[in-house]
Amino acid sequence: MTELLEAVLRGLGTGSIYAMLALAFVIVYKSTGVINFAQPAMMLAGATIATYAGPAIGVVLFASLSFFLSVGIAALLTALIALVIERAAIRPMVGRPAFVVAIITIGIDIAVRVVAGGFIGLGARPVPNPWGLDGVDLAGVRVQQRHLVSMAVLTVVVLALLHFYRRTRYGLAMRAAAFDQEAALTQGVNVGNVFAVSWAMAGALAAVAGSLLAISAGVDRRIWVVALIALPAIILGGLDSLEGAVIGGLAVGVVQALVGSYQREVAPWLGDNFSVVAPYVLMLLVLLAKPYGIFGTPEVRRV
Amino acid sequence: MKLRRTGVLLAALALVATGCRDSDDGGGGGGDGEISAPGVTEEACPDAVNEDNGCIYLGTISDLTQGPFAPLGVPITEAQEAFWARVNEEGGIGGYDINVTEYVRDNLYNPQTHKQVYGEIEGDVLALAQTLGSPTTLAILPDMERDEMVGAPASWTSLWAFEDAILESGTNYCVEGMNAVDYMVAEKDISSVMAVHYPGDYGGDGAAGAEIAAEANGIDFTGVETAPGQEEQAGAISAILDAKPDLVILGTAPTETAVIVGQTAAQGFTGQFIGLGPTWNPALLATPAAPALEALYMQSGYWGPYGSDTPGHEAMREALGEVEQPNDGYTAGWAWSYPLKAALEEWLAGDYDKDRAGLLEAVQSLETIDYEGMLPEEAGNRSGEPDDNIFRASVLSKVDKAAPSGVSLVQDFTVGPTAEEHTFEGACFEG
Repeated sequence: MTELLEAVLRGLGTGSIYAMLALAFVIVYKSTGVINFAQPAMMLAGATIATYAGPAIGVVLFASLSFFLSVGIAALLTALIALVIERAAIRPMVGRPAFVVAIITIGIDIAVRVVAGGFIGLGARPVPNPWGLDGVDLAGVRVQQRHLVSMAVLTVVVLALLHFYRRTRYGLAMRAAAFDQEAALTQGVNVGNVFAVSWAMAGALAAVAGSLLAISAGVDRRIWVVALIALPAIILGGLDSLEGAVIGGLAVGVVQALVGSYQREVAPWLGDNFSVVAPYVLMLLVLLAKPYGIFGTPEVRRV
Repeated sequence: MKLRRTGVLLAALALVATGCRDSDDGGGGGGDGEISAPGVTEEACPDAVNEDNGCIYLGTISDLTQGPFAPLGVPITEAQEAFWARVNEEGGIGGYDINVTEYVRDNLYNPQTHKQVYGEIEGDVLALAQTLGSPTTLAILPDMERDEMVGAPASWTSLWAFEDAILESGTNYCVEGMNAVDYMVAEKDISSVMAVHYPGDYGGDGAAGAEIAAEANGIDFTGVETAPGQEEQAGAISAILDAKPDLVILGTAPTETAVIVGQTAAQGFTGQFIGLGPTWNPALLATPAAPALEALYMQSGYWGPYGSDTPGHEAMREALGEVEQPNDGYTAGWAWSYPLKAALEEWLAGDYDKDRAGLLEAVQSLETIDYEGMLPEEAGNRSGEPDDNIFRASVLSKVDKAAPSGVSLVQDFTVGPTAEEHTFEGACFEG
């Protein structure tokens, strides 16, 4: 039982990071109708900035405070980068098919990754943090502190997003634009700004997720691949659903951890690395039952 | 519009011109008609050290930017540049300077890219100073045989002993696996070993060796394949924690080493890890896994680490000067260059056809190679059967923060009983 709980907690910890990455995808998709394939690069860029910001401020402050400060700086700068990219490369494409814009984001992804890679260098760069791989004992259940930190950060992010979408003018404008761009335009919503804000928010979230991910083994050039695990998460949660992104991300994390821990005993014939494909199997199973994901909006067309 | 068209036309012309230049450069036979191999010119090298010497061009295909082994590929390539620059400063070989900087290509650790760039430089170089990676080099082996091209590999898979065109140095992953198990049986009397490894002719080769040694010693063996990536190690970690083996042989890249050793230690595992050569990178000392690595990890290797005390190591450190982060990629790149140097000397001085086939023949006649103490001379024997040629001694190092590349020797060249007895009839890993 303890072992099961430990696996679930590990899964929730990693799942919290996937959930933030998934949220970033969904925020851009909701307001622009485009899957932003530059998200992995934004995560890499954000985490890289955190590796530079940490040592710069770490000397004078408490370790955990300096970690969160460096993540804050990384989130701000990554949001700025995302704003610039959106203005320069995405805004001119307004009105073009979503497919075209998605392909452009793939190009942006490669370009940003190459630049970020230059700052990373050849090895791995550590993000200074006080937790490392240390664990704590919670009533006999051992859990790594970094997983608890990830869960706490996800909780704060979700609360902040709820507040933003429900209680602020911009949040309302974004919901309106997501619902119907033309109608929102006629009501005086600046849809261009909505695009910009959604890109900036997604960039900031990716930076936070990337920095948390890098606690265990630092930032290397290949870490961006992790952001792709958010894709099965958003698809099983529903492409346009924020709740779906959170649940999907957590579900993918937990399933991966459980499969990693138990599959060798329960189903050894599946081979050594079934946990790598488990998120995709989960996604297919969910899609069989709910073709638009758990919380996705079914697309109804009258003909 | 017109301006743009002119621009495109100019760009196209420039491309065509570049293409022509390439084919002019290479393929030149010797000016006096003696040497008729591609990549050898009577003209001096660009920026030649010895203006009166001709030039031999060697190609380099390495992982230089995006691939998983770029942290090793870049220092390997830098060390080889330094190695050949030193050869040139000492007067070159038989009236020729050696150039390794003109034909350097990035393989992105991708076999297809490797094959493509090999095709680009094949006609312009005499031999390959470096072909990095086992799967990548396997992709060009048929081409190398067709072109009678000799190449120094940047990998240690046991298959190379059976390939005439590949000029490997030191032992191989398979023997490393055997020696690591034998060492732990002798030192700690262990009763179980698990190999956690990438599939294929790196990790798979080391695991095969560990399995042979486990069988010879009558202890339990389990093999666990794992995929590259920080977050893909859950299966490997729980396999280690469930089975609690006395020894884990690692055949992964450095990042996975940090994740696996760090996470299993955090969850209470106290067994010994021995990593194959490529599992270490001194940057791991900056990760949270550092204390666990210091306590539980040892690195197996093919020669002493960067800070070792041999004339070869010393020459390397002097030639490289101040490097930002000493790393055993440098050591490997330097050591791998000696056989090609010996082969070129033999080929130019001896009575061989002065073409690539002659160079290949010269390679096969080598009985000893002067590694300046980095490896014993007999490690360079290429004249016998593969089973006789295979060098069976490896070294073991422990994590040492004070050492230049983060590791220092605990056991110098040693052959374990399993490797001593084993007859190599083919590569240990057969995919």
